[in-house]
Amino acid sequence: MSTIDRPAATRSGIVGWLQVQLPKIVLSPTCVITLVFVYGFIIWTTYLSFSRSRMFPNLKWAGLKPHENLWANPVWYKAIENLVIFGVLYIGIATVLGLFLAILLDQRIRQEGLIRTIYLYPMALSFIVTGTVWKWMLNPGLGLEKLMHDIGWAGFHFDWIVNSDMAIYTVVIAGVWQSSGFVMAMFLAGLRAVDDEILKAASIDGAGPVRTYVKIIIPMMRPVFLSSFVILGHLAIKSFDLVIALTGGGPGFATALPATFMYEQTFTRNHIDVGAASAVMMLITVAAVMVPYLYSELRAEKGVQR
Amino acid sequence: MSAYIPKERTWYHTVLRALLYTILILFALIYLTPLYVMVVTSLKSLDEIRNGNLMLPPEDPGLAAWVKAWSTACVSVECSGIHRYFFNSFKMAIPAVAISTIMGAFNGYVLTKWRFKGADLIFVLILFGCFIPFQIVLVPMATVLGKLGLAQTTPGLILVHVTYGLCFTTLFFRNYYAAFPDELIKAAKLDGAGFFNVFWRVLLPNSLPIIVVTVIWQFTNIWNDFLFGASFASGNAAPMTVALNNVVATSTSVKEYNVDMASAIYAALPTLVVYVVAGRYFVRGLMAGAVKG
Amino acid sequence: MASLQVENVVKRFGDFEALKGINLAAEDGEFLVLVGPSGCGKSTLLNMIAGLDSISGGKILIDGQVVNDVHPKDRDIAMVFQSYALYPNMTVAKNISFGLEMRKIDKAEREKRVRDVAGLLQIEGLLGRKPGQLSGGQRQRVAMGRALVRNPKIFLFDEPLSNLDAKLRVEMRTEIKKLHNRLGATIVYVTHDQIEAMTLASRIAVMQDGFLHQFDTPQEIYDHPANTFVAGFMGSPPMNLIPAKVAQNGSGLVAEVATEDQRTLHFQVTEPSEEISRRVGADVLIGLRPEAITDPDDREANAVIQEVECMVHVTEPTGPDTLAVMQLGGVEVVSRMRSSSRVRPNENAKFAVNLSKAVFFDSRTEQRI
Repeated sequence: MSTIDRPAATRSGIVGWLQVQLPKIVLSPTCVITLVFVYGFIIWTTYLSFSRSRMFPNLKWAGLKPHENLWANPVWYKAIENLVIFGVLYIGIATVLGLFLAILLDQRIRQEGLIRTIYLYPMALSFIVTGTVWKWMLNPGLGLEKLMHDIGWAGFHFDWIVNSDMAIYTVVIAGVWQSSGFVMAMFLAGLRAVDDEILKAASIDGAGPVRTYVKIIIPMMRPVFLSSFVILGHLAIKSFDLVIALTGGGPGFATALPATFMYEQTFTRNHIDVGAASAVMMLITVAAVMVPYLYSELRAEKGVQR
Repeated sequence: MSAYIPKERTWYHTVLRALLYTILILFALIYLTPLYVMVVTSLKSLDEIRNGNLMLPPEDPGLAAWVKAWSTACVSVECSGIHRYFFNSFKMAIPAVAISTIMGAFNGYVLTKWRFKGADLIFVLILFGCFIPFQIVLVPMATVLGKLGLAQTTPGLILVHVTYGLCFTTLFFRNYYAAFPDELIKAAKLDGAGFFNVFWRVLLPNSLPIIVVTVIWQFTNIWNDFLFGASFASGNAAPMTVALNNVVATSTSVKEYNVDMASAIYAALPTLVVYVVAGRYFVRGLMAGAVKG
Repeated sequence: MASLQVENVVKRFGDFEALKGINLAAEDGEFLVLVGPSGCGKSTLLNMIAGLDSISGGKILIDGQVVNDVHPKDRDIAMVFQSYALYPNMTVAKNISFGLEMRKIDKAEREKRVRDVAGLLQIEGLLGRKPGQLSGGQRQRVAMGRALVRNPKIFLFDEPLSNLDAKLRVEMRTEIKKLHNRLGATIVYVTHDQIEAMTLASRIAVMQDGFLHQFDTPQEIYDHPANTFVAGFMGSPPMNLIPAKVAQNGSGLVAEVATEDQRTLHFQVTEPSEEISRRVGADVLIGLRPEAITDPDDREANAVIQEVECMVHVTEPTGPDTLAVMQLGGVEVVSRMRSSSRVRPNENAKFAVNLSKAVFFDSRTEQRI
């Protein structure tokens, strides 16, 4: 990075002072925005989670009450349970599927570009569109079930989307469909970056294709696994659009997730305080994952430069 | 180099490669099916939908559902179709993309070519904003928008999207400019170029790739957003995604699946077109965002 | 250890012929070096010997067996790569033993062999580390260890020293030579560095553009290069190629060389072959290595010396000697003088030209006469 602080010839007076301050001036709107709208708002909401806000924000102190209410709420527990189920399955399946497809695509396929495009296009869609279409496809009477019946599989039952126990898995299906192409793209890039000479060495050492992948190439993909977990984890925690469009949080609150819980509490049930408390919980969870990851990434970058 | 399933002529390898292609094509079909269903359903009549099944092609394809979605579908209480909300999304997205991109470019420039104490720290603090769950800012933002008189308006949404898009655009430009050779900047300065000239004449002309990536990324994310739209502009200024959800969630009278699908197509079309036309850059944006978390 | 034969090997990439009928061989225990500029096909040939690339035409035999269609792992060869190609996620010990593991050698035997090789290469202390924690020189030794531990028939080296700094390169070169002497292994070594080729090889194959120019011992290649390319490629500074005209002088032949100041020098042809005799009146190139043009009082015994006087253009002291540049026959000629020599630029000086060392090339075909 350059260390150009002062121009070789500075103009004197106001103009000169301006030239030096200009970078900071240009950067300042973003700094102010970040300060206020990110960190300021975080503090604000955190305060609200200790306040007496109901339908409107109220700055009177209420101590831990909102948080107590939060943790006494059965829907919140359902939301957390769903997040764990959804998170683990979504991340797990998308990663495995993405890796699998990437390995297949790495085999010098004709029309690789076309196939890659097809696997990736779902990422271009809004989660609302994804949820809407999958909601239709998994429609109990007219969707997948009817299709199977028409094909000849009369006994096929697929009412997951209206089934309290199974609804969360439909969110997994739709989520994996949307995101696995992205994971595949990341792994494909990682696979392509493997040095040819290592493959030659493995060939001479006598490792067949499977052994080469399992013992050498896949272990080299550790950074991609990490990136994949972090990004998918992040998407999972923020999942709101998909659930709203697919199941609306239902049936009942069977597919409640922290994001939908927060929205509902804040805008529908008029419990801004509890909503704020849940938002704070979400932030803490995200930070617990992102901060160490960002820290190590930036440290690594600093190590590489000079 | 293929150390793996080679293209040799033994039958074993031919079978393996055939299997490979079969799996790949199978998955391609799986990925395409929802798109197919969406389009096909939108072209069918309600009777056909009820009597047939998901995969059957339309007997008498018609754009009736499309017209209905555009002009007469009911979004909450109003029944004048989704066209207004479709345009709302453009009115919101285009300024937001433009402003956040320009600001991001300047930020990236300042953070990499004009080092001052704390520049790295500032960058990290800005970057963190990309990862917060937006639920944490909903209430304060609603309050502020209300106070500014921007609640339920398109300009309000523009403000929101610019605010929370800055971290990404800054990230993209900062990484791109970090890799830009310093010697060119030094040479320009020796030639007498000041702050803005270095930017306009040296950096910007060479920034086309990252500008495209940033614009595509921002447009896709802003167009596809739902949370902010639902929270801050659920009325007349609502974006397409909110309208779509409303159309589908209407529980009055008969469910018109074909209109629902047509509405979904309207919502999906712009970003899909961008993807098909410039998908390569979209992928680059995904990867650039991914590499740095 | 085994012998290697390359018979009329051809390699085509689509329409492009990367190797045009290569013929060479390495006896058991020989150190064969493939040398040439980038793109000459030496790495391609090495890959084909290894089995990493298919053969378009011709045969490759290891120990008398045709191995054209044999998989690399069955050819009993080992390879050391330019970038070392160590497996990043395995320790040094695992890296070395990986090939043995693939061949189902039992654990005790594997560990013993790894220890032996580590001792030989002095890397015992590194066995628990990962490649990322090693220096370039250490990685190179590990790569060699991986090859040695398999005790293969033939060792292949693909520019193994290119990624090292100059000092390390010289050290490792000596190490490799010592290893060869100790193990008596058959080695095929690819490099673009002609010094490496000269110091390491028992025989050198000089290649260019997929074509084998000369296949001979280092001394032969140095003293009697097959053509002007080999003459210029091998040796630093390269062999001087001076335009001359063959003429009859009494009973013998001479080569007439023009000097800068319009004189004509007559160099005696010490071994007037039939080929040269046939070229009386024709243009040729005289090849003289810089060390064949030296101080007047530094004569080699039993050599035919001719003294000339020339204007020196540039002097380049190198430490061990001083190079003096002059002009003969219209081209720049480099001579190697003692470091204490008193030649100075823009002054005339006397030189002793050792004509016993002269070789002649046809001006048009560039082949040695």
